[in-house]
Amino acid sequence: MAFSREIYKALEDIVGKDNISENISVCETYRSIPAQTSAHYGPSEHWTPLPQAVVMPGSTEEVQNIIKVCNKYGIEFKASTTFYSTMGYIGSDFALQLDMRRMKSIKIDAKNMCAIVEPFAIGATVQAEAMKLGLNLNIPGVGCSASTLANFSSWVAFGPNSISMGQGSENILGLEWVLPNGDVIRTGSLGSGDGWFCGEGPGPSQRGLLRGIFGTAGSSGVCTKMAVRLHPWPGPADFPTYGMAPAYKADWGPNFKCYTLCYPDWKSWARSVQYFHESDVAYTGHRQFNMFGRDLKGAMIEIISNPDGQLADLEELLEDEYIKEQTEKMKLDYQIVIVGFSEKDMEYKEKAVDYILEQTGGWKSEMMLDKDKHDYALLYMTRLGHKNLNYVFCGSYEGIFGLSSNVWKTIEVVEDAAALKRKWEQDYNHIAATGGDSSMGSLSGIGGGGATGWEFFANFDAYDKESIRGVYKLSDETQKFHNKYAFGPDFCRWNSDLRRMDGYNFTQEEHNEFYKDSAQPWVFAYQYKIREAINPNNLCGSYFRTLDPKCLEN
Amino acid sequence: MALQDLRPMMERCSYCAGCKFIPFEKIKSLRFAENCPSIGYYNFMTYSARGRFQLSQSLLDGRAQLDDTTTNAIHSCTSCGYCDIGCKITRYNLEPLEHNIEQKAYAVENGKILEGQKPLIDNLKKEHSMIPGTKKANRTDWAKDLNLKDLFKEKAEVAFFAGCKYSYDPKLQKVAQSAVKLLQSAGVDLGYLGAADNCCAGRAHQMGFFNEFKDRANANIKSFETAGVKTIVTPCSDCYHSFKRQYAKLGSTVKVLHIVEYVDQLIQEGKIKFTKSVPMTVTYHDPCHLGRLGEDYIPWEGKEKKILNQVHTWEPKRPRYNGIYGIYDAPRNILKAIPGVNLVEMERIREYSWCCGAGAGCNESNPEFSAWTAGERITEANTTGADALVTACPWCKDNFVNAVDEDGNKIEVLDIIELVQQAI
Repeated sequence: MAFSREIYKALEDIVGKDNISENISVCETYRSIPAQTSAHYGPSEHWTPLPQAVVMPGSTEEVQNIIKVCNKYGIEFKASTTFYSTMGYIGSDFALQLDMRRMKSIKIDAKNMCAIVEPFAIGATVQAEAMKLGLNLNIPGVGCSASTLANFSSWVAFGPNSISMGQGSENILGLEWVLPNGDVIRTGSLGSGDGWFCGEGPGPSQRGLLRGIFGTAGSSGVCTKMAVRLHPWPGPADFPTYGMAPAYKADWGPNFKCYTLCYPDWKSWARSVQYFHESDVAYTGHRQFNMFGRDLKGAMIEIISNPDGQLADLEELLEDEYIKEQTEKMKLDYQIVIVGFSEKDMEYKEKAVDYILEQTGGWKSEMMLDKDKHDYALLYMTRLGHKNLNYVFCGSYEGIFGLSSNVWKTIEVVEDAAALKRKWEQDYNHIAATGGDSSMGSLSGIGGGGATGWEFFANFDAYDKESIRGVYKLSDETQKFHNKYAFGPDFCRWNSDLRRMDGYNFTQEEHNEFYKDSAQPWVFAYQYKIREAINPNNLCGSYFRTLDPKCLEN
Repeated sequence: MALQDLRPMMERCSYCAGCKFIPFEKIKSLRFAENCPSIGYYNFMTYSARGRFQLSQSLLDGRAQLDDTTTNAIHSCTSCGYCDIGCKITRYNLEPLEHNIEQKAYAVENGKILEGQKPLIDNLKKEHSMIPGTKKANRTDWAKDLNLKDLFKEKAEVAFFAGCKYSYDPKLQKVAQSAVKLLQSAGVDLGYLGAADNCCAGRAHQMGFFNEFKDRANANIKSFETAGVKTIVTPCSDCYHSFKRQYAKLGSTVKVLHIVEYVDQLIQEGKIKFTKSVPMTVTYHDPCHLGRLGEDYIPWEGKEKKILNQVHTWEPKRPRYNGIYGIYDAPRNILKAIPGVNLVEMERIREYSWCCGAGAGCNESNPEFSAWTAGERITEANTTGADALVTACPWCKDNFVNAVDEDGNKIEVLDIIELVQQAI
């Protein structure tokens, strides 16, 4: 249903005519096709609904005024930044899409070691500005192309740096938030007029809602500004790189090393992770290049670190004896970056790595010690600028399994999970055959202990409908696997109760059916009351899990 | 190739934002992190390569129509090709630039062009020049007193091809004349096409006017053959790209050099010697069609082949243009060789250089967008503290000369040949 002229005029008066459009062609480019990107409810061929208009606010005040118009006319609204995730798209036929692109400022407060960022400040730009002052931030596993604010406030935001810097939710300080009813609240120290430096007060805390995993999942109002904690960076301020595209590399001297550490069995692997978690030696730690698959990672590293590398080289490289041997040796691996704050500190950390390897029977991958590979991996892990290699094989992937638990629990099931995926690769051609185990993810967060969050990349072709449907069927199997081992929802089903497969929002009645018999229904009933308070007209889609308390009265 | 043929590409875009930012590893500041002039100016997703992929699907499926807004969005792209480079940082099987230009051709086929494009194309058809108001009869006036051999009458080792901008713009004519004299003084046996010197029509191709491009390109290739041209040297980056990449696709086998390549070679051979110091700090702007779009054409014919169930490859192996083998070092070598010149670099250089804004005729068809794009570059150049912005393309120079930075300041803009001339 198109907006009336009265509504459109009201919105246009707020942002100006150049920052609003209801043109069909423009609005069509603000739809998500969940087969083409990360939706976390299984790949789907449906596009999300067409927004009736797109607006680009330039300030908190404009956001507030837009939301007031939405409340006046009962319009669903949703803000998004880079429009990568399906979560940020509207989910009904009477809805307004906010594109936050114009709000991208970054202010570094070096004294208080924090960055005050607006929505469209992506990880790469925040990091670049922070590094000028000797600081760095946790860039979530999604990569530096994603919005820092959106990740920290509304999604998971853990990644390679989390082992030393914590995950997103542990790094939120002061925050400015336009509630769905149009009120602006400022949390933490900001709320008492004392600046951005603290998330917990003396003003109101936001931890219950805007806190990453998962809070309102971006489904309540618009967060317009956030302070994120920064951490020391002893490297060069201008982030020098060398090499030819796309195989850029970095050599920042002897105090920066990236190792691929390998182990003979999963127990040794887990023990080493535990040591790293306890020792504070690793600046970065992630199971990264296994995303290409247990069988392909050696060949893929060869391809991506070579400017002339191509996927067409894969078959030949897979026959190369050295690559085969190195790939086999990297079967149970992960990457770490160690950073020396002084020569002595680096000396200690090098020794600590060697000691951990000695204690666990591990070794450093020889292939990854080669200067080209080392410098490529160091740059990759530090900025996460090549994270979209996730898509390199066939354009799309779905993260299946998502083994989110303690490392000791995860390693008990990882081989069974790998076998299930390998069988699917062998029995059908829906997904790329990468070797079963393509688990990728973190080793640890500061507050989370030695925790994994591993998705297995199931790479598929979004242009091939059979491939899409096949992955969905595969996710039925992986969900059964998760049920069997009590791992909760499969990663590609995390959002399956939040948006319908056809791209539309769930109704309250549907949510009631989902949650009334859940293990802890009162959590959802409590969230219903929160929504009533801050989002009385229910205008923000269905990503915030709510249960009408009336369903629990008996 | 038709737009529909690119459907697999449209549906395989992964929304990664690589087409909108310089390679993420290369980002050094918030201010100069982005690299698509079109979405930079218009802001809506529609104006990015990712949005264009999505728009094409909607057009082909009949959900969107070629109305004025859509037509403007399609043609408000300078065809600078950065999206292609940014995409290929992590994707090995998409060609966003090919798609953008094909989308323009789709609009052109359906009669949807911008008002400002018509005079360019009309002039190309009538006067064989893409500068409205210029006449075929005056095209070689700039070369009158240069002793250039007419290749239809005499043989010469090298054909000098000035291109429209250097041929007609009174200020730039002097640069072309200097270039010719420079080569002649270095002993190069130089000729030109005389009455058969016509527009390369590369900009028509960038605008999606494929038929007009092909007509002119085929006529020019025939002229090259008749005149026995073996090597062309041009100071124009657009002509360079046309001859090297687009004409080669049509069968041309002429060797193509940009003047910076030739001059660099002559300096190395000691045939050009600098005698004067030019005490100046300069920054260099890589023209899109000389840099990232200046790679050699590699013939390929083949088809998609899936391996390992779903991994997309090509059979035979397909050339991958990721911009790295463009012409970047030759102009920098020249600048470093000039006594007194201090070269400082901007943040967006080489394969991820920012566009001047004149590409695909946008300086004529969409002047505000084009001026904003140029202004962005002037801002970046002024940030380096350079005294002058040097480039190797007349379209870039012309667009920069008229632009100001975000504070309203200008910068001296020099063609690299002008700087070379000062040192001799």
